[in-house]
Amino acid sequence: MSTFLDALAWILDPSSWGGSQGIAVRVAQHLAITVAAVLLAAVPAVPLGVLIGHTRRGRGVVVALAGAVRAVPTLGLLTLLALLLGVGVWAPLLALVALAVPSLLAGAYAGVESADPEAVDAARAMGMSERQIVRHVELPLGAGVLVGGFRAATLQVVATATLAAYTSDTGLGRYLFSGLKSRDYTLMLGGAILVALLALVLDRLLAVAQGRATGLARRTAADSRLGA
Amino acid sequence: MGIEFRDVGKTYPGGTVAVAGFSHVVPSHTTVALVGSSGSGKTTLLRMVNRMVDPTSGAVLIDDQDVRELDKVALRRRIGYVPQAGGLLPHRTVVDNVATVPVLGGTPRRAARAAAADLLALVGLDPSLGRRYPAQLSGGQQQRVAVARALAADPNILLMDEPFGAVDPIVRRELQDEMLRLQAELGKTVVIVTHDVDEAFRLADEVVVLRAGGVVAQSGTPKNILAAPADAFVREFVGADRPDRTLSTSEIDGRRVVVDANGRPLGILQ
Amino acid sequence: MTWLQNNAAWVVELAWRHLLLALPAIAASVVLAVALGRVAHRRPRLRQPVLALASVVYAVPALPLLIVVPLVLSIPLRSPLTLVVALTLYGTALLVGTATDAFDSVDGQVRDAATATGHGRSALFWRVDLPLSVPVLISGVRVITVSTVSLVTIGALVGISSLGTLLTDGFQRGITSEVAIGVGVTMALALALDALVVVLGRVLTPWQPRRRSVRAPAPPELVR
Repeated sequence: MSTFLDALAWILDPSSWGGSQGIAVRVAQHLAITVAAVLLAAVPAVPLGVLIGHTRRGRGVVVALAGAVRAVPTLGLLTLLALLLGVGVWAPLLALVALAVPSLLAGAYAGVESADPEAVDAARAMGMSERQIVRHVELPLGAGVLVGGFRAATLQVVATATLAAYTSDTGLGRYLFSGLKSRDYTLMLGGAILVALLALVLDRLLAVAQGRATGLARRTAADSRLGA
Repeated sequence: MGIEFRDVGKTYPGGTVAVAGFSHVVPSHTTVALVGSSGSGKTTLLRMVNRMVDPTSGAVLIDDQDVRELDKVALRRRIGYVPQAGGLLPHRTVVDNVATVPVLGGTPRRAARAAAADLLALVGLDPSLGRRYPAQLSGGQQQRVAVARALAADPNILLMDEPFGAVDPIVRRELQDEMLRLQAELGKTVVIVTHDVDEAFRLADEVVVLRAGGVVAQSGTPKNILAAPADAFVREFVGADRPDRTLSTSEIDGRRVVVDANGRPLGILQ
Repeated sequence: MTWLQNNAAWVVELAWRHLLLALPAIAASVVLAVALGRVAHRRPRLRQPVLALASVVYAVPALPLLIVVPLVLSIPLRSPLTLVVALTLYGTALLVGTATDAFDSVDGQVRDAATATGHGRSALFWRVDLPLSVPVLISGVRVITVSTVSLVTIGALVGISSLGTLLTDGFQRGITSEVAIGVGVTMALALALDALVVVLGRVLTPWQPRRRSVRAPAPPELVR
């Protein structure tokens, strides 16, 4: 119990937050690498997912591939990349990008597929081009699921970004690894609590975003039923 | 002395009255049909017998014993039940479906399966179908399996809830004939719920016509009801004025031919 | 590949340890998730709290969990039990949603007919609900199987040896092939267990048509 209190005291101590090794800097690094990894992963994953969802082709291949990617231990990918690319920030960033891809892809195709086929059919009958169908019908209707994919990816990445500190001096994971090395439980636990809090806060924020997007989907569905 | 509904009522927590004060006696070894449109409370009444629904007032008695004094599960195991659309367990083979209740009751599986194969033959199914899964049978075959399952524990009472409602008219007719044959052979006490008056008239010794809320509009033998409908509701419900129910005869070469209201010949009067 | 030739016995031993860490965690996750999913399915009032708790637990990163668990349970940091408990928490959190959906997917008419033919509470669970939930459940079990096998490697960071040891040892000594073999064998183990789960699913659901279209369900982390 006292370790928990010590860890909380460490987090609440203003002097822990300042400086180049302080909590503020670490949180910023952790967030930066998380956001960068998710956005970089989204560049190929979301358009590809939308394409698969819209054409309903290639899903089997992608599901199998995503399954294989899930089987890759992130720690392994990270250390492998670090051996190849050196101890900079690129190795963890690339490993995290690979981690984010399956969820983003799944969110995109599941989202687009979740659009009511009748609404899609009606849009086509009204004379919308395939591109317009994706933009005005499928994406708004699948927005909730799509954002769900971002939420799942972000959650995995922010959690795993802790490992980044194993090969490069970045993020909140540093406290855990320093603590492990010096058997400093207070530091380890403090770092653990910070990472968990950061993950929970991000998850809640994205849950709200997902709720909003689902609301958008419901309004779009109502509009398309009214023929608007 | 069979099944007695003694002033039973069912009011749901929201205040909806499904059944208000229904009384009726089903004598042993007879078939009674409860007919009515949806909302008449007929299924609720049926489900009171095996305690799938407990009445909020009154009591259901089997052989003079209030069913509420009996253990629900044990009670259900000694009452055969045939739901609409079979309700077979999709993950069990046909023979295991039929053997379900005896196995639950502790009969060794091997013996229960052997008995189940005999029951399949009794309901007119080739016992070789026993190794299939329900989804591999036609709707009519599934209903026969459901009847076999209901008979497996050799119950005195058989409850049937729209048993042939989900199959096409030709198969329904076949199943009704099968049911009549079985009943002549086995003499169970049968309560059947249906919205199909023709089915009720074909299968039942006594028919109870229900209005909304389980109110008895008329009860009696099919003959009596048809001969003297109690009121306009019953008259309308049983279709007493339907062309195929208003028959007349005309004489051709000294023989009397029965024709319906449209003049279509139905048969010869002996 | 010479590295593998010289260290084959060690790799096999680590793979065995890996399996001994992953299997109990997977089994415990399935049992716990089924129990919780059952509760969430039967009690509408508990559904939201149970699923919300699962999503919170799932949001806690694995490595911090490895540090918090021994402190809460007062067991040594390097104990295999620490890893099994953490992975079980994780697997359960990931599977609860699917388990709830699996019970929801059981046809109400079938359950009603089973009740009316005299299935009591426990017979209804073991003979009807549980077997009929398998087709949906198995998709979730596949996901947690793969993710658990992959996550076991994290234990190497706190000194619990498994195939993850090849990753940390290889990294520290700069032996790329050691890390690559660690990754490869872990993946092979994950995919082999996944295939085993698929076969198990088929054996448990002989009534399901065999050549159905392989329409994989949405990944469970999306269904929360």
